[in-house]
Amino acid sequence: MSPLLQQFLSEARDFLEGIGQKLMQLENAPTDVGLMTELFRFMHTLKGISGLFDFPEMTRVLHAGEDLLDAVRNDRIQYSQTLADRLLNAMDFVGMLCDEVEATGNIGATYASDSVRLTESLRDLMYSVVNENTASQHYLHLESKTTGMAAQLLPTPPIGLKHVPELVRMKAYQQTKAGQPVYWLRYTPIEECFFQGEDPFFQVRQTPELLWGNIIARESWPRLANMDAYRCQLNFRLLTGASKATLEDHFRFILEQIIIEPVAHLFFIIPTGDPCGGPVYEDFVGVALGFLATNNLTELTQAAKTMLELSCPDLWLSSALRWLLLVLENESDNHAALTAIVESLRSLNPPNWLDIQAQCLSSTSSSQPEPVHGLVENNLSNVQSAEHAEAIKSLLTTQRDILLLPITEPWQIGRMKAVSNVLSGCLRATGELEQLSNLALASEQSIAQGIATPLFDWLEQTFFLGTSIASNDLGQTSGDHDSSATSKAPSIPEGLVNTEPRPIPEVDNELKFGRRAEDSATDPKSLKVDQAKIDRLMSLIGEMVVSKNALPYLAVRAETVYGVRDLSREIKAQYDVINRIAEEMQDAIMQVRMMPVSFVFQRFPRLVRDISRKLDKDVNLVLEGEHTEADKNIIDSLGDPLIHIVRNSLDHGFELPDVRRASGKPTAGTLTIRAKQESDRVIIEIIDDGKGIDPEVVKRKAYEKGILDEASLEKISDEDAVNLIFVAGFSTVEVISDLSGRGVGMDVVRTAVEKVNGSIALESEKGKGTHIRLSLPLSMAVTNVIIIESNDQVLGVPMDSVVETVRIPRAQIRTIKHSFATVLRGCIVPLKSINALLSIDAQPQVNDDELAILVVRMGDESVGLIVDNFRETIEIILKPMTGVLANIPAYAGSALMGDGSVLLVLNVKELLQCP
Amino acid sequence: MPIEFKKNLVVFKGVVPVEDAEVLLECLQTNSAVKVDLSDCTHLHCANLQVLMAAKPNVTAWPGDKEFCTWLKSALAINAV
Repeated sequence: MSPLLQQFLSEARDFLEGIGQKLMQLENAPTDVGLMTELFRFMHTLKGISGLFDFPEMTRVLHAGEDLLDAVRNDRIQYSQTLADRLLNAMDFVGMLCDEVEATGNIGATYASDSVRLTESLRDLMYSVVNENTASQHYLHLESKTTGMAAQLLPTPPIGLKHVPELVRMKAYQQTKAGQPVYWLRYTPIEECFFQGEDPFFQVRQTPELLWGNIIARESWPRLANMDAYRCQLNFRLLTGASKATLEDHFRFILEQIIIEPVAHLFFIIPTGDPCGGPVYEDFVGVALGFLATNNLTELTQAAKTMLELSCPDLWLSSALRWLLLVLENESDNHAALTAIVESLRSLNPPNWLDIQAQCLSSTSSSQPEPVHGLVENNLSNVQSAEHAEAIKSLLTTQRDILLLPITEPWQIGRMKAVSNVLSGCLRATGELEQLSNLALASEQSIAQGIATPLFDWLEQTFFLGTSIASNDLGQTSGDHDSSATSKAPSIPEGLVNTEPRPIPEVDNELKFGRRAEDSATDPKSLKVDQAKIDRLMSLIGEMVVSKNALPYLAVRAETVYGVRDLSREIKAQYDVINRIAEEMQDAIMQVRMMPVSFVFQRFPRLVRDISRKLDKDVNLVLEGEHTEADKNIIDSLGDPLIHIVRNSLDHGFELPDVRRASGKPTAGTLTIRAKQESDRVIIEIIDDGKGIDPEVVKRKAYEKGILDEASLEKISDEDAVNLIFVAGFSTVEVISDLSGRGVGMDVVRTAVEKVNGSIALESEKGKGTHIRLSLPLSMAVTNVIIIESNDQVLGVPMDSVVETVRIPRAQIRTIKHSFATVLRGCIVPLKSINALLSIDAQPQVNDDELAILVVRMGDESVGLIVDNFRETIEIILKPMTGVLANIPAYAGSALMGDGSVLLVLNVKELLQCP
Repeated sequence: MPIEFKKNLVVFKGVVPVEDAEVLLECLQTNSAVKVDLSDCTHLHCANLQVLMAAKPNVTAWPGDKEFCTWLKSALAINAV
């Protein structure tokens, strides 16, 4: 894997994390412009860098996301939860692609369709969010859903299908009838495609199972002298029998430039040829309809064949007869279709398949049509035609209003396409097919010129001046348009833009570079360094700190052994300088390793949101003190325990909204995660206002699981009982869910926290909530220890467990049974002799009839250790015991002292737990 | 050279790459009487194709490849909007 790709992956993950975080923040402040801009910039940059690599699947999704955010940013659409959901989903997909790239080096073709689906889900949002209430959404759904057989078929026949030679269409018809869908594919290469090394012509020539294809110019050619050979001006239209998946794979790099639509078999039936009829056909039509009415298909076939033999094969009528025969052969039971073809012989207009499509679908999609079903369908279509005029009227008015809207931005040209699509649908529905070519001309002029005038003029002329449709029942209604249109339409217009499934907006290409320049200005001045390098630097500085500590010893030797007092003083002066620099170095390296806890916190908004939604709970997350800093190792070790705790809170702690309401709490629970610094420790508190932990339940469970015996069951305090949840193997939940209940959670949490010298405390009040408090050291690198003496041995005790050092007269030490104790500021403190604990056979040394007591914290109590003497506290680099010594729990580790000796550091907790 | 310019005749051979489109366009711009011979051509880059579609020169010989020939004939014949 190239270093560039590696860097991309690491940056991409950062960006994804950032995007997720910003989306979460936006959920609480949907109107925050600053957040939105930042989010957009993340998406934009990520898309930009993804374009450096050959990952069309990834770039496509990101591009759609970017467009969507741009729309939100410019207030064209509203931020919504659906939007956040889809974006998060898309970002998860991108994350998955990153994993895939990391594992295999590229992205498998299988992701292409997912990528397109996600892209469409994002793009849909850009057009549907605004008008969630309009009926046009139904239409959109019909088009975008490609599940059911009926929905797969195109509601309108593709324009241009009639250019396909009859033989090819007949073949396609038979293939579709046989249950193998045939697709109409429109490919509109972007103008700059030649510069991206594409050859659209080659691409389409390689299309699998190509039935037919043609190439047309987008607009009339300019004068040859003005032509730019390197701007693609061609559109492609293909008819192919390959499966949709195969096609998507074939065009996977340019999926957004193609439109694949399945074609209903009836749409292929378009008679073509010389339209010169004679009266003899009138007779034939009458006879044929008679045969149809009596279901005498054999006679009909015979008559049609005879008729065909008599006619010139180039005639329009011959073509229609050939289709009639083909339909007779393939679906002789489809009377609606047969009648339509026969009727068309009289009218010389191609059958309007849209009108009879519903009927045909119902009777052809299932091999055995049910009569009752057919009846219902018939009735339905009658009802539809009664409402037809009304619907078309409102559609036309709306289209006109849309065209009246000003066009200020390039993407709005998409409206024209949409309007043109709607209008062509209307024409088909009313059977005004000869107007289609005029419409196509007008819309192409409009799109090319970027103004709505040609299309608007056409619309006015055709419909509102009452030339063609005025003769139909639409005419009377179009009269009162002018007065009612403006007042009626306002809510509908933009919704109808939906009818264009993917009006791919021409993204302002020339702006991109400008934006990129903007981005570079905000580049953070930071450096990504491998953690191993920092660790090495830190251990070197540690060595340095230790070896500098040798200088005072040297000074003492210079004076006492060699008797050079001046030299001794100079060494000491020098030592002070080195000491100061070393301390600063240490401080600096600590700063480098320090990370804000927000690094861990940032994943919680998403986690809480996902889990609470899954559990149908309503939980507000409050994060406090995210800027509190701690060593990276500590932060890293914090992640998993916190997730466990939060999950536990959500799963066991919070009640369902109904229960909460019943107990008089606000329906939405509050989960607070707070970080703060207390001297040299980081305190993390997780507070929920859920139902708390019931000590009785915990006790019973602990007893059932054999964690408690009967005697201790009686005397254990509620507080201690609650803390039993930290014991290994404890779980109060009967059913193991995917969230919790396996009985490892809290035990793992405690172990993980103690591993980094942290401690965990839990308080819970039944019905009020639970409060968990983690206390962790700021840094693990340097440990403060106090040096104690015991029987002439020097030992270290970590300062974080030391409460105080006191000297107590021997008289104040009481003996309770065989144990010692003393009273310190009104509290009884048990005393233990360090010699006894370490099995050293010596009595504690007494100075002036006083004993030196080191008071240490042991959980919630204090214990006094009787030692011989105290010395100074020093900072050491604690190295854990290795090898054979690693199994001695009484020692936390060892450290090298300035004079070269080794200091053993006690693990007080373990030491005191030894019996 | 996939494109050979003779007097009033442009002969296409094999696969004609994208780079040749510019030269082809120049030639067709300066000489309107030029004809094209596609008999030995197996593929035209899309850019060349659109130059031919725009210039509409007379084709003296169509390609031997039947499928390719169909493509070109339909593209160069239906030259309308």
